[in-house]
Amino acid sequence: MMGRPTATKNILEARASLLSGLRSFFEARQSLEVDVPSITKAPASDPWLDTFTVKDPAGLHVGYLLTSPETYLKQLLSEYHCPLHAIGKAYRANEKGSEHAIEFTMLEWYRPTTICPFQAMVSEIQDLVETLTQYGRPEVIAYSDVFEATFGLNPHQAITDDLVRFSSDLLGSKAAASLDLDSQLNILFTTEIEPHLTNHIVINFPTIQAALARIERDGEDSVAKRAELYIAGREIANGYHELTDAVEQAARFEEDNRRRESLHRTVVPRDNALLDALTSGLPESYGVALGVDRLLQVMTQSKTLSECMTFTGHL
Amino acid sequence: MASFSTNEFKSGLKVLIDGDPCMIVENEFVKPGKGQAFNRVKIKNLKTGRVVEKTFKSGDSVEAADVIDLDMEYLYTDGEFYHFMMTDGSFEQHAADAKAVGDVAKWLKEQETYSITLFNGAPLAITPPNHIELEVVETDPGLKGDTAQGGSKPATLSTGAVVNVPLFIEIGEVLRVDTRTGDYVSRATKK
Repeated sequence: MMGRPTATKNILEARASLLSGLRSFFEARQSLEVDVPSITKAPASDPWLDTFTVKDPAGLHVGYLLTSPETYLKQLLSEYHCPLHAIGKAYRANEKGSEHAIEFTMLEWYRPTTICPFQAMVSEIQDLVETLTQYGRPEVIAYSDVFEATFGLNPHQAITDDLVRFSSDLLGSKAAASLDLDSQLNILFTTEIEPHLTNHIVINFPTIQAALARIERDGEDSVAKRAELYIAGREIANGYHELTDAVEQAARFEEDNRRRESLHRTVVPRDNALLDALTSGLPESYGVALGVDRLLQVMTQSKTLSECMTFTGHL
Repeated sequence: MASFSTNEFKSGLKVLIDGDPCMIVENEFVKPGKGQAFNRVKIKNLKTGRVVEKTFKSGDSVEAADVIDLDMEYLYTDGEFYHFMMTDGSFEQHAADAKAVGDVAKWLKEQETYSITLFNGAPLAITPPNHIELEVVETDPGLKGDTAQGGSKPATLSTGAVVNVPLFIEIGEVLRVDTRTGDYVSRATKK
């Protein structure tokens, strides 16, 4: 029903306690809480994110609803060089389901550090889960280890043809053959691996999934310095050892738009604010985005995300 | 031919998969934070009754299946086909083969109304009413005075169905039976 809250009183209490727990966690770590606008000039370039457009009553273009506060936080980071976090709403068009909503609460945090940033990020995610949830300290596993254990393939060396035979079982051969490497990896990972991740941080992703993470050598392979937290078979948080090189960042925007074009999706304007932040000197840092409603969902063992959100009648 | 996009998927939707009429039982939207969205769907094949899991790329379309459920009255069987007639006053008749009727044959009673699933105009499956009243044509003699709980005995009904009934039930009595479980419910109230 439209007018009534979707969350029970118990869930609202758990939600309030989680929010204040998150704030205390970051306050204790000298992080500055900021709140940023919901509207941005540049939509996310990520090929698989759909952004809402904001128009004024005359139908004139105003901007886009945030899919994450990333650009604003990186602008603040390059200006003030201090740990930052924001808890606010994020919006993603076309994402509806038992674990998705078009409007949701996101926690995003950044910490400038030059001392083993990736390791520091992984431990901070572990600390957060250990401090605030009943799940204890997450176990860290490499993407390649878990992928190889499931499919017998090194994901960093795999090509599309290697993966089609697995994805065909799920999608049928015709649909499977139409997927690119990124989507092949995604469907196999989300279907066959993710459900078994009970409290794990997966690190070092294939470079095709680098997004805004740095790429480094790891023995024979190049890997994206990305870490994802999974609890109870669900993706909860995603962190990067952040890219600080403006030239590389510009190249990734181009690459995103090339992929958008090949997927027949809208090409998006370049996020110049983000490029400026990088050019003016983004400190070496890591950043993590966490779905607060999802975390609450696994903490309260709720069947659907909407049970954990105050109102969903309008969604 | 009409088709449905994955964002129109919901349980109960009838779609055509590899030429077979299927019904969506469960639809789950799956999407990694960074990455393509998929729909993981549980689908029941309406021909075989088998439920399978299938994954679709979000945004893909699937052909709609020409499947409708209509109320029809059972008329008779000629040994090969079971004949039904529409209850909408059109007197339109449909013949279902043994495959479409399946186990429901034992619940077919003349003048009773059934839900007939038509696929491309031909009967695909028959669903009996949840409860049906049928006469006992054969059972062991009743034990007088034993109306308390306790034992049961098999009874054959007018349609050929065999159900377990309490010991006091006698030949000629009309019983109310649950067609979903095949269980005796009660004696039918005599008018």
